[in-house]
Amino acid sequence: MLYKKKFPLIIFLLPGFILMLIFLYEPFVENIVNSFYDMTSFVKMPGQEWKFIGFENFQKLFKDPKIKISLVNSFKMMGLTIIFQVGIAFILAILVNSIRRGQQIFRTIYFFPIVISATAIGLIFKLFYNYNGGMLNQLMEALGKEPVNWLAPATAFVMVSIPTLWSYAGFYFVIMLTGLSDISEDVYEAAAIDGCTRFKQVFYITIPLLRGVICTCITLAVTGALKVFDLPWVIVPKGAPQGVTHFLGTYMYEQTFTIGNIDYGSVIALVIVVLGVVVSGIVSRILKPDANL
Amino acid sequence: MKKMKKILSMMLTVVMVFSLMTGCGKKNDAADTGNDAAATEESKDNEAADTKSPVTLITVSMYGGTDPNAENYQEINEQFMTDNSYITIEDNSQSADQDWKTKIAADFAVGNEPDVIQYFTDANASDVLAADKFVSIDEIKAEYPDYAKDTLEAALKAASNPDGVQRAVPTTGYWEGLFCNKDLFDKYDLELPTDWDNMVKAIETFKKNGIVPIAVSLNNVPHYWAEFLMLSAAGPDGYAQVPTEAPQDWVKGLSMFKTLRDMGAFPEDTDTIDNELAGELFKNKEAAMQLDGSWLAGGITDQDNTVVAAFPTIPDGKAPAGAMVGGISSGFYITKKAWEDPDKKDAAVKFVMAHTNKESVTKYWGGNGQAACAVEPLDSMTPLGVSGLDYSSAATSISAPTDSRISQEAYNTLIAGIVGVSTGETDPKDLIDEVLSINNK
Repeated sequence: MLYKKKFPLIIFLLPGFILMLIFLYEPFVENIVNSFYDMTSFVKMPGQEWKFIGFENFQKLFKDPKIKISLVNSFKMMGLTIIFQVGIAFILAILVNSIRRGQQIFRTIYFFPIVISATAIGLIFKLFYNYNGGMLNQLMEALGKEPVNWLAPATAFVMVSIPTLWSYAGFYFVIMLTGLSDISEDVYEAAAIDGCTRFKQVFYITIPLLRGVICTCITLAVTGALKVFDLPWVIVPKGAPQGVTHFLGTYMYEQTFTIGNIDYGSVIALVIVVLGVVVSGIVSRILKPDANL
Repeated sequence: MKKMKKILSMMLTVVMVFSLMTGCGKKNDAADTGNDAAATEESKDNEAADTKSPVTLITVSMYGGTDPNAENYQEINEQFMTDNSYITIEDNSQSADQDWKTKIAADFAVGNEPDVIQYFTDANASDVLAADKFVSIDEIKAEYPDYAKDTLEAALKAASNPDGVQRAVPTTGYWEGLFCNKDLFDKYDLELPTDWDNMVKAIETFKKNGIVPIAVSLNNVPHYWAEFLMLSAAGPDGYAQVPTEAPQDWVKGLSMFKTLRDMGAFPEDTDTIDNELAGELFKNKEAAMQLDGSWLAGGITDQDNTVVAAFPTIPDGKAPAGAMVGGISSGFYITKKAWEDPDKKDAAVKFVMAHTNKESVTKYWGGNGQAACAVEPLDSMTPLGVSGLDYSSAATSISAPTDSRISQEAYNTLIAGIVGVSTGETDPKDLIDEVLSINNK
């Protein structure tokens, strides 16, 4: 009855819709238009015209070796997030859920990296990896070993992935823990009476009942991997060393803001959005989080 | 009751929409402070007709944030407001970076430009110059003959915009040079790298003794090396041209990156280290040389044992000994907005004159770089300051860096490709061709 008359609802939805229209959809459409022009500056000065270049930027996209590196790294990161973010979060959630005392402490500890800004975490890890006097090389020195260039091309991706994955595991941990608290204790008690071990309970009770939550976490993690930007940009800016640690987000930023190739940056941004939609569609088709299996 | 609810919900919506609009409109209010101030002026004028109308001058400069001259700029502003009590300065200075430049360009595009701005004079200002919102010095001098009277004619000419018109009054210029930790050179009985053989010997000796020969972050700031290697190979004339195809000399210059890298001249982590951390290596005597601008001198702790040397000419290079990169790249502009406002016109001229007179320029100069006025040498100059002054005075040629001649996108593409050139992954000719094609499009 309350929602019988739609007019007040529309009025209340209007401000939010206008905001979305102005600050999200309009720039997105403009971004697509920009990708067809040779933009010489961020802002078009009065009387200035940008040259129409058609699909030139899109053709460049297929020839650009750095785009390939960025795509491969972004997809690698997607896989790693499923294993190391969702996987570790799941294990931690089960362990913490099974203890009676100190649950709150563990919740705080694991969730803590989320509240620290990514730039701060990036800076900390940058200092860990620093070749001259970094923490890891100080340890190496204490052990009587030669310093290691941790961010050398061969190891840089792994070194960047560690803080990227670690810093967000706590987020999924909290989601999973909340999901676990919704599972009734009675089910576990009944299983225990039937002789089901704790380990078996995880596979036969926890995972099936937590399926929806796990699927949501995987979808969030996979799509989140496409947006990875801040940590790699702080630790290894501009895809350093030698462009091997570029992700789609960092490459887009470099092209747009560091180099000033704004129109090409617009194309990369478009790729990120399209990939995000496609990947989340595929993931939800495969996992079917809402299906009642 | 239902009606009441309806009215309440409508009122809430209206309030929300209006609050949003107020948020959006805030910027304009700030931008129109001048108009508001002008309105206030009228009322005050009635009360005290014999005093000058209060003027609010909106100013922007690059002397903000961590800039070494930020304090001097603020001091001059305070003194200016004390001397001209009817003028209030609303200053919005920041260190210049890409984000800031974008914001300035946006302000000029939408008519939100300040009254006075200290900004770039070379190709870096092309976006803002395209808006045609600055007054030329000739126009100002026609009404204010004393405008820029202390500024050297050569300095005014050097601060001309790419179209040759003089609009900005500069304060200081800069030079780029090879900073050397002389105590390290003495310790290993090495001569300063005044020629390439000395440079090679120094690199080899330092490398052998666990000292980083050259502190540089190729991923972050390879600019100085790119400039000097091209200048050294092509000579001042070849370096200053803007060709359509990669000149052989430029290619030869950039090829030296790989030679130096293969010799182990750069830090082990040159591809990932920040420029600031690379600079720390030099300051902490863990590195022997650093190629940088005159602004580096102020931040060096050991002022007694650091010297500035001329960049050695590379083998078969065309540059004469003492060829230097430097120049004047910024100055104070008055916008047409202030010039056409009768209240602000005089205040804006006074403001620029306060910042560009001999006394202020001496403050800004402080012994670093080049002064745009004929300043007296400072008694308090450190040995490093004297070394820098000697170096710049002995320069056989002064060439403006490449980014003053080519588009930002082209220049940034060059800089982004340096790591690839140094590893051999990118052919320097291909990189320069790409840069020139971007510049010519």
